[in-house]
Amino acid sequence: MGLEFLARVRHTSTWLGGVIALVAATYVSPLLGLAFAAGVTWSLVNLQLLERLIVPLTGPARGTPDARRRIGFALLGMLALFAAGAVLLELLSPAALVAGFLLPLAVIAVKALTQALLASPAWRGIVNHRWRAGLAGLALTTATWFALGALTSAGGAPVGRTVVAQSHGGAARGEIHGDETPTEARGNATAEEKGEASESKPQGFANVIGLLTGAFPHATWAHFLEHYEVLVFSLLVALILLVVAHRASRDPQLVPRGLQNGVELVVEGLSSFIISILGPAQGPRFVPFLGTLFIYILAMNLFGLIPFMHSPTASLNVTVALALTVFVYVQFIGFKELGPLGWLDHMLGNPRNLTGWLLAPLMLPIHVLGELAKPISLSCRLFGNIFGEDMLLVAFASLGVTMLPFKHLPFGVPMHALFFPLALLGSVLQALVFTVLSSIYILLMLPHEHHDEHGHEEGAQHAH
Amino acid sequence: MDVHSALSLALPIGIGIAAIGSGIGLGLIGQGAMQAIGRQPEATAKIQLAMIIIAALAEALTIYAFVTMFLLQGKI
Repeated sequence: MGLEFLARVRHTSTWLGGVIALVAATYVSPLLGLAFAAGVTWSLVNLQLLERLIVPLTGPARGTPDARRRIGFALLGMLALFAAGAVLLELLSPAALVAGFLLPLAVIAVKALTQALLASPAWRGIVNHRWRAGLAGLALTTATWFALGALTSAGGAPVGRTVVAQSHGGAARGEIHGDETPTEARGNATAEEKGEASESKPQGFANVIGLLTGAFPHATWAHFLEHYEVLVFSLLVALILLVVAHRASRDPQLVPRGLQNGVELVVEGLSSFIISILGPAQGPRFVPFLGTLFIYILAMNLFGLIPFMHSPTASLNVTVALALTVFVYVQFIGFKELGPLGWLDHMLGNPRNLTGWLLAPLMLPIHVLGELAKPISLSCRLFGNIFGEDMLLVAFASLGVTMLPFKHLPFGVPMHALFFPLALLGSVLQALVFTVLSSIYILLMLPHEHHDEHGHEEGAQHAH
Repeated sequence: MDVHSALSLALPIGIGIAAIGSGIGLGLIGQGAMQAIGRQPEATAKIQLAMIIIAALAEALTIYAFVTMFLLQGKI
């Protein structure tokens, strides 16, 4: 017991409160979850301030000016906290706030009970005996099973109806509709029908912006965010990369440590990889562009695997933008390196003799079509892979959810966990493929005389 | 047979056929690359690079079918 006990209570309450608030926000209403989280936070801050107040009052340093200052601060904090509590009671649902407030107290009670139980001789008598412990575990499991059945059968909808609603509504939300009442299920189905009629947007996992829009359905900024959802997430990724790069290069050391070391490893690996494709003479100029492309795409691909986040590359808009950037850059490089006449010569298939000139009118449309096909294939490949990955995860998550419909539990079997390694592999591979193909398009545009490594020429020809 | 049932029959079958094709292609690419690496282990990096590029191109065909499926899925 003591301060260490309080710290453990804080820890448990934070986790438990977070999970319960998320479940409430997803299955009941976002505002209710917010109110519950606010209640838990309020209660935890209250406990912390009480601890701050009691330690200087009763500890060994009582009576000193330092302790008096601490007591003053704690009292001021209490006043501010109570004012905040009054405001919260006005704004949010009081029942959820009180429930959140009571959670840490319940955790304290359960923890104290557990400690008392663990110390009692009856418990030791059960635990130290193999058969008695097994029997007790079995009895506990059975009792929990029946208790859950009794608790959930009261408010649950008929199973067949929810399954029909789910299969009708596209199902791929990664959520269960099991604990809804029939009217809610019907309303949901009609809402989804309407959504399908107006816009056939495939549904993925719930993300932050979707939850915000659900919480504030009438706010204009929420609709703005929802409309530019992909843009917001890609800018967020860019911001994270910026912060990481800034922190890594803020105070460069000769012998790198920590973050700087990791970033240098990535940069050096990418640099040597790109130079191995483009050759030591031409390569270093293109490392910044291609390396940024790789890191940005990789970060965007992996961003969707974080809960409540969304892969920007699972939208065709982002991948087309990336592919168009590459296209414009490649054409710009061609103009700059070859000159307008040289570029035209390249488009005509470098005619040097009579046969070449005769074939030139045929080669021009082929080359133009080839150049135009590059951005299409780049963007569709990236989009299809990342989107397909996300859809695979969603499909298996909803399968895991529908595996347990008979208990109406608000969670399911994490079936999609099996496909996380696949998604990781695919994310890295697609970022790599995008970068390699971009560098090969650049390689094809560069003057061929300067290029001395013939091994990669073959790869480039295949890629065309 | 109306458009809806035709589409809901044709889309999965189309993806399956595309997947058969690029599956065969990927298998051949992998076989060739593994044999080449086995013969010349010192050229592993170059072979792997070419293998990944060609594998991406072969796989892209299925992805095109997949994207087409998603474009047409709204009409079912």
